[in-house]
Amino acid sequence: MSSGNGHPLRAEWRKTTTTKLPWVLAAIAIAYSAMQAVLLIVLAAPGVMSGLTQDPGSQDMLMSKDYLGAALAQVGTAATFTLLLGIVAMTGEYRHMTITSTFLAYPRRSGVLLTKMALYAAIGAALALVTLVVVTVAMLVALVPFDHAALTADMWLSVLLGSVIGLVLFGVLGVSIGALIPNQVAAIVTALLWMLLLEPVISLAFPKVGMWLPQQALNAAMDVGVRSEFSGQFVAADNLPVWGGILLLLGYAAVLGAIASRTTLSRDIT
Amino acid sequence: MAHVVGPTLRAESLTKRFGRAVTAVEDLSFTVEPGRVTGFLGPNGSGKTTTLRCMLGLVRPTSGRATIDGKAYAELDDPMRRVGGALEASGFHPGRTGRNHLRVLTAAGGLPDSRADEVLEFVGLAQAARRRIAEYSLGMRQRLALAAALVGEPGALVLDEPANGLDPEGIAWLRTFLRARAAEGATVLVSSHALAEVQQTVDDVVIINHGQLIHSGPLGELASRHTSRVIVRSPDADALMTALREAGASTEARTDGSWLVAGVTAEQVGHAARVGGHELHQLSPEPDALERMFLDMTGGAE
Repeated sequence: MSSGNGHPLRAEWRKTTTTKLPWVLAAIAIAYSAMQAVLLIVLAAPGVMSGLTQDPGSQDMLMSKDYLGAALAQVGTAATFTLLLGIVAMTGEYRHMTITSTFLAYPRRSGVLLTKMALYAAIGAALALVTLVVVTVAMLVALVPFDHAALTADMWLSVLLGSVIGLVLFGVLGVSIGALIPNQVAAIVTALLWMLLLEPVISLAFPKVGMWLPQQALNAAMDVGVRSEFSGQFVAADNLPVWGGILLLLGYAAVLGAIASRTTLSRDIT
Repeated sequence: MAHVVGPTLRAESLTKRFGRAVTAVEDLSFTVEPGRVTGFLGPNGSGKTTTLRCMLGLVRPTSGRATIDGKAYAELDDPMRRVGGALEASGFHPGRTGRNHLRVLTAAGGLPDSRADEVLEFVGLAQAARRRIAEYSLGMRQRLALAAALVGEPGALVLDEPANGLDPEGIAWLRTFLRARAAEGATVLVSSHALAEVQQTVDDVVIINHGQLIHSGPLGELASRHTSRVIVRSPDADALMTALREAGASTEARTDGSWLVAGVTAEQVGHAARVGGHELHQLSPEPDALERMFLDMTGGAE
């Protein structure tokens, strides 16, 4: 970093924690994941889905370790919000023109990008852990009335590992997207449009292409055991191995970040 | 604050074009010395802000350089302790408190967090420290921007229109502060679109228009360069003006019935009136002479 005695990570951390939006996004991420997990349990509860599910033995689903694992793996849905957190971290600087004082403190601009990437990787890991704890508690409460399989330690650990990987990668990717598209609204709309519409459509039309796209890569990267059963719920595409998904997402973030460093980030601040 | 030796700021053939059409700054060279307050003057849109942003590494010059003791801003090892920049009052997150804004900067610069409270106190924002910046008035934002510039106790201050939005009390305070900083040895560069606003504050002036240098040097030199003019009012004006013109003065009737006399001193006019027996109702030096001269130099823009 350019400022010898500076604490760039601490500065970025303070930027994050002294505004409301990151807290709101993190809270939504946790609540959304917990809601998804509880919904999966409630829908699988004996009687609820009778007549709807293809599986006549639906009352046994809560007895399935895989099914509970998939419910627990809803922690991974928080990745979307980590992406938004990363985007907001970068674009917020341009939106409020705090980028001026940021670059005055750190005139070597790619250092700012790398610092934010590092912080949002750490925030992604922390958010994964907190979300997993909340989701676990919510599931245990939701499971109380029913007979169910046990939530095992290895299930829990593999979801922890998978979601940490996923949220770290999407946090970093979000920062790089924000750097490339400094307009906050444009960046968020682009990211959501991509995730909710474009990538699913492309993946459906060209499954072989789909596996190389970010969300599919995320699924691959998080697929450390438990999620495999359900990872292809929308698209029955081939998936990369875990390390392939990790490398691919890091590659996306590196390429977007490198392009941003040479284009948007090096622009005059006027 | 202790005695400091501020850096020398320099623009060296600085040129900045935005696209092909707009040349904001053209071949601009000037030097800003430590221990003095330098006014950077020009009408709005004359390229002042672009020049200051080049100085602070926010805008990349098309050609030429802007340097701090010979180095570009981005080459400084510890920029927040070298140069404090306050560019505009809008660079704040509205949801953050003033104190938290500064605590981001103390962390970034590796400064003790107590500096945040010290500078807030110093600029008179201690009461508002824990309020959201969204609730700040324009004047309070100016003070916060100044606090941000001061947080690293830099040897140089680069302030873009710092008096904007300040009340008269605030302007007087700012003037005293800038004079004191320069007296301690700091380098102080302050931009303004009105000479009158900084006339009592600055030692040196750098005047630009259309991105080009018009004049740079001590303010006193500028004042002595301009031909003094005298305002004269007399019921006997025609005869008096004839006498003055014969003595080599040039005279110009003003719309309010008074006359503007150039090329002679007030003493000479008084003498001519007494000798000729002309009654005088007013004899005074042109009050806003420097400002008029500034406007003439910058094409009377505004």
